[in-house]
Amino acid sequence: MVQEDPVTVSPRVDPVVIVAAGAVTSIGADLETFWSGLVDGRDGISTIERFRVDDLRVGRAGEIKHVVLPPGQRPTDCRASLLLLAAAEDLLRRCSLDADPARIGVVVGTALGGVEELEHALDKDGRVSRAAAALYDSPGRALARRLGARGPELTVSTACASGATALGIGADLLRADRADLVVAGGFDVLCRFVMRGFDALRALTRERVRPFDRRRTGLLLGEGAALVLMARDRDARGPRLGRLLGHASTSDGAHIAAPHPEGRGLQAAVRGALAQAGLDPRDVDFVSAHGTGTVLNDRIETAVLKKCLGSRAGEIAINSIKGGIGHTMGAAATLEAIMCLLASRDGIVPPTHGYEEADPECDLDYVPLRARRLRPRVSLSTSLGFGGCNAALVLEGSPA
Amino acid sequence: MHAPGACVQAVGVVTGWGEGLAALPVDAARAAATRTTLAIPRPSLTGERFRRATRECLLGIAAVRALIEETAQRSGDIAGESTALLYVTAAAYGASNRAFVEAATAGTLRFPYTAPSAVPAEVAIEFGLTGPYVIFIGGATTTIEALAHAAGLVERGECERALVLAVETFEECEDLYARGRWLIGRPLVEAAACALVGPGSGRLTVTEAMSASALTRQTRQRVGETLACEPLIALALGLESGDDLAVTGEWRGRRLSLVSEPAMRSITNGAQT
Repeated sequence: MVQEDPVTVSPRVDPVVIVAAGAVTSIGADLETFWSGLVDGRDGISTIERFRVDDLRVGRAGEIKHVVLPPGQRPTDCRASLLLLAAAEDLLRRCSLDADPARIGVVVGTALGGVEELEHALDKDGRVSRAAAALYDSPGRALARRLGARGPELTVSTACASGATALGIGADLLRADRADLVVAGGFDVLCRFVMRGFDALRALTRERVRPFDRRRTGLLLGEGAALVLMARDRDARGPRLGRLLGHASTSDGAHIAAPHPEGRGLQAAVRGALAQAGLDPRDVDFVSAHGTGTVLNDRIETAVLKKCLGSRAGEIAINSIKGGIGHTMGAAATLEAIMCLLASRDGIVPPTHGYEEADPECDLDYVPLRARRLRPRVSLSTSLGFGGCNAALVLEGSPA
Repeated sequence: MHAPGACVQAVGVVTGWGEGLAALPVDAARAAATRTTLAIPRPSLTGERFRRATRECLLGIAAVRALIEETAQRSGDIAGESTALLYVTAAAYGASNRAFVEAATAGTLRFPYTAPSAVPAEVAIEFGLTGPYVIFIGGATTTIEALAHAAGLVERGECERALVLAVETFEECEDLYARGRWLIGRPLVEAAACALVGPGSGRLTVTEAMSASALTRQTRQRVGETLACEPLIALALGLESGDDLAVTGEWRGRRLSLVSEPAMRSITNGAQT
């Protein structure tokens, strides 16, 4: 457990600069549209149109209705790669990769990779190239090729915490001098595979997603991709979104699908990320929670934040953005990290879409109803995933 | 506490040829004869959890058990937050993914096992591992990256030791591999391997490689195609023979080398004795 008394600590690692970001979501096909959608409380949830859902209990999700095709891509190409490349196009509108290609790394996180391609490959006339695209690291390969990056190329799959782990691994590559620039982030697409899975688990709600709300009944999925450009602090020139101060990914070692009942692994991740950043819990100004809207997740996460943040937990603004865009799985944690940095840039924290009624077991400040004027300096972002995966990021924003 | 360096102390290996290195043939292609895939039978572990778990999950547990036997430790010695678990696979999730796609109904308990994280999750549950945790997707180059990442965790004091586990299975998707036989080598040999990375005075660093190392070529010849498991099996062979531990890995047209500074050898030998 994190001590509540002030602790003098120094960072265990050098911070890493986040230069710029790019995003594709159901509420916006670029970073600034995504951001304004969060602030305005735009609803990106709709009935899925791209594949059959009539045999499922729930057929709604945060589906992207129109993907702007990246150069050289066809609509029939692997959708996961398309989303990732679209996010890259958005990123490259905001920054350039000024480094030796051999020193540019790519780290992406995903829960599903290109698994939708496996469905096609198993069709009677499926091409073997689609089976190759079904490998979970194929979209990352496509991204590296598009960027001309020839440095380290990694795909991580810590389930729905993947987008956070990817940023942490990207920072580690920079600190180890394996690369001078790293493009890192996360992605995942909606497909029958994942909709059938969550439908069978009865984790999807037939109602509105209401993270931390007393009436919450489950999550809805979403799709998206998000990328950031990272550099060592000493090398970064010009404008920046902020810095990644600390990261930790931990294992629950408890259950194949459910989180540890006391959030043991998440507590360890939060402690580890704060320790790596050299910060005290009292330094945290804002928390971007995983906040899926399931009864269990939100209760456990609230308890973990109380334990880790101590007596200040009730004073800290906490939000979840999954009510508006759905749970975007591998993209979620990267989108949430970007949201933290944009909140610092603009001095405004998006509301928890769908949150209206307080739950006695979730009794913290979840930024209800509308965006709040607040300029967090230090943000904590938490993530959990199947397989006992937990991750925490500590971020520092750069005011505009 | 920070460590001056890190080294690979031991490796546990299970392959389609049998348990341990002693089961490996001299020439995999010749030993395989007409067989294109050498599968590992489902390990027989008792208990409700293991009944539900996929074969690749059980292979992951078998590899860690082999490592524990190799190091003459008890499983409790590695439990807790002090041990990191880094898992690597190129395609071991293929079997569960395919089964889920082809199933008429999506069973409630089946879906969580389609995630690559299912294998390390079962390993973490079985051995009580609650430390740093990363799941990498990719072939042999990715395993080399994972070994370097493990060394970094140990050197920074974020854990006392790290397990780098790789599992590859092929049997359930044999027809898909047959359709893309030019993509990877033959014979396809299922494998699970786990390396223990601990503190030492040597350094593990990653560099681009122009060609496969002698140890890796020897491993490929003796074992066959094991994708992400290959560098770990090569390390096991190198530790056994006392030869140079230079390991290379190839995946998706890239080749990386894991360079072990000489100091590692004495630490490794010390750990083994």
